[in-house]
Amino acid sequence: MGMITDGLPGFLEPLPGGSAVLTKVDQLVNWSRSNSLWPLTFGTSCCAIEMMMASGAARHDISRFGAEVVRASPRQADLIIIAGTIVKRMAPRLRTLYEQMAEPRYVIATGSCTIAGGPFIYHSYTTIRGADEIIPVDVYVPGCPPRPEALFYGLLTLQKMIREGESLRHPGERRRPVLSALPEGMTIEDIQAEMRDLLVADANVKMSEELAEGAHWAQELKDF
Amino acid sequence: MTAPVPSPMASASPNPAGVRITSLEERISGTGTGSSPLATQEYFVNMGPQHPSTHGVLRLVLRLDGETVREVVPVLGYIHRGIEKIGENGTYRQFVHLVDRMDYLSALANNWAVTMVIEKAANMETNERIQAIRTIVTELQRLHSHQLWWGVFGMDLGAFTPFFYGFRDHEILTDIFEKTIGARLTMNYIQPGGVMYDIHPDFVKDVKEFLAYFKPKLREYDALVTENVIIQQRLRGVGVLSAERAVAMGCTGPMLRASGVAHDLRKSEPYGLYGRVEFDVPVGTTGDCWDRYWVRMEEMRQSVRIVEQLIDNIPEGKHFLVKPAAKIKVPAGIHYSHLETARGILGVLLVSNGKDQPYRIHCRTPNFNNLWSITEMATGGRVADLVAILSSIDIVVPDIDR
Amino acid sequence: MQDSPPPGEDQAGEVGFAQALLAAAQAIEPATVLRDKSDRITLQVPAAAIAKICQWLRDDPALRFDLLYDHTAIDWPAENRFELVYLLAAVLDPQPRTRDLQVMVTTSVPRDNPVIDTVCGIWPIAEWQEREVYDMFGILYTNHPDLRRLFLEDDWEGFPLRKDYEDDFMLERPT
Repeated sequence: MGMITDGLPGFLEPLPGGSAVLTKVDQLVNWSRSNSLWPLTFGTSCCAIEMMMASGAARHDISRFGAEVVRASPRQADLIIIAGTIVKRMAPRLRTLYEQMAEPRYVIATGSCTIAGGPFIYHSYTTIRGADEIIPVDVYVPGCPPRPEALFYGLLTLQKMIREGESLRHPGERRRPVLSALPEGMTIEDIQAEMRDLLVADANVKMSEELAEGAHWAQELKDF
Repeated sequence: MTAPVPSPMASASPNPAGVRITSLEERISGTGTGSSPLATQEYFVNMGPQHPSTHGVLRLVLRLDGETVREVVPVLGYIHRGIEKIGENGTYRQFVHLVDRMDYLSALANNWAVTMVIEKAANMETNERIQAIRTIVTELQRLHSHQLWWGVFGMDLGAFTPFFYGFRDHEILTDIFEKTIGARLTMNYIQPGGVMYDIHPDFVKDVKEFLAYFKPKLREYDALVTENVIIQQRLRGVGVLSAERAVAMGCTGPMLRASGVAHDLRKSEPYGLYGRVEFDVPVGTTGDCWDRYWVRMEEMRQSVRIVEQLIDNIPEGKHFLVKPAAKIKVPAGIHYSHLETARGILGVLLVSNGKDQPYRIHCRTPNFNNLWSITEMATGGRVADLVAILSSIDIVVPDIDR
Repeated sequence: MQDSPPPGEDQAGEVGFAQALLAAAQAIEPATVLRDKSDRITLQVPAAAIAKICQWLRDDPALRFDLLYDHTAIDWPAENRFELVYLLAAVLDPQPRTRDLQVMVTTSVPRDNPVIDTVCGIWPIAEWQEREVYDMFGILYTNHPDLRRLFLEDDWEGFPLRKDYEDDFMLERPT
């Protein structure tokens, strides 16, 4: 992968039609990355229970959102959901876990403790005031702790960011971190509906358009 | 090396008497002896702080001889947030919401423990309605907590299905709490002077429906896990703790009762409305993992019984007797009070100097004291047994570290 | 609630028990007094006698305080002392009792030389509780089998629950 992603832009860009191919490859890569997130089981305190309810329990099911393969080893994961307060003693371990994860790796920080230290911000000699002091965070999910719906919304935000994010031309450049607060009045049904729309949009392909696009590339390549 | 120059700060030295202080490194390096008859090599393995069966960020340093656990050295502090220091710098009311985040699976009992010591010390009044609501919600949360424990316990032993069953019922109860309290986990509901909100108009109906639904489900739990031969084989005779040792190791709650000591503050020092309801205290005989499992299963039945007796006659009255913004002043002195959470005795020691902030506030948490016994229970067993033992203690790590 | 004795009778029983306990404790350590400003029976003993008093409280057949609920410390910088609190309960006794037996024992050590005997040999759980107190207050326990930091790293400087603890990292609450 590394060889392709490093060499491909330089090779394709000068070619006529090369940039269109590059854009398509980008789209394909980002689409597959966004829909195959493997989260790491990492929870330090209360938010972990809500994460458990979201990811594995009876009512909510994170696998509908393309992130079901929860792994216990950081080497097999590319998404870390930081659930709970990070204190000084845990900070280096969190950094290690992050560094051991497969690239490209993403971080969702859930709950006020991981955003700013939460209720433990003042007069605490150990609480780290925000997980982003240790590792770069992509999406912040507010709440104390956030409901499973809020976590799903954060996950969808991350998926959107991944789709629009890194490209082969600008590797390592991402969307700015965002605070993904669940909009007022948003329910699980809304999220499921949005998810269905996304699934439809992603899964169904208009064959005629695809064919036309393919023909266009073929023509460009032939001209070359 | 030159002779040490007496520092001008010598009087402030933290250790003038030269008492021996060890370190984790020393503790580990000094113990590996390798005295096994097969001349195998002993080695240390870190379990945690990021490990799926340590329920959070507990770290156990294990000295292993093959699969056999020779020694367990628990290492704490990976979620030590300094709650007691924060408490000294806030008002009494502000401390109540901090304890939610300690043992987040019995947030209501934690609220109540702090509330109880403040109310007793400041001589604040409550009424029957407040006590009834407190007793019901706390008992429901014991059920709530045990449901989650049951699901996770199954998963730790390698069965995934209990997790779904436990959470299915856990979610229904979460909804009932959410309707009245507005939170799913960190409740901050029981406050000095009352409860934060009055119960939702649907509360009584919802709870009754839930109890009617849940009672047959307990039978289902039994059919799925309790009567499972594999589960019984994994639990019987594993992690035995005698009554004497359990007391010496400071265990309380289901841990102590599983070892055969019928010590339950709900019976011995009834608080709330526990003095008026009938319930039994389940007691184990051998103190192994199976007894701890059984005691908790039985406690669920008793909790159902308690709630059933109270739910129909919640007295009328106000739900909050003081102004919510009123400053609380506690007379100077030492105050202590404790209650029975889902995991054991939670005591709150409050030292006041008469101001509106605690001079010192200390929580005697059940998990901190229960966990210590793992050093004894797990030694000599297998690594797989260690996971069963750890799960049968039912730890919540932030409650240990505070 | 109807089965609990009327408050006056209970109070009288409590006072009687406290006096009997004090007299027995004074036979072992004459300097023992009852601590005022405490909401339960509290024996205040000199630091040097703590192990002796604790051993007696556990082993006396009439008392048998076999469970150490809690052990912690309170910092009184103005009086230059740490007050150590031991909270005991009797749970194993097979004989039924009229009331649940609990007693608090306090002692004081000077702030500039906070050394005291361990009670690990009496109640094993003290090993952890004393480590916590060492970690937070810097109380040094002689004869402790494994005295080291519990929650903080071994190389942490200072003892955070002392009133004069200062740390660049800590934030004050803005007023």
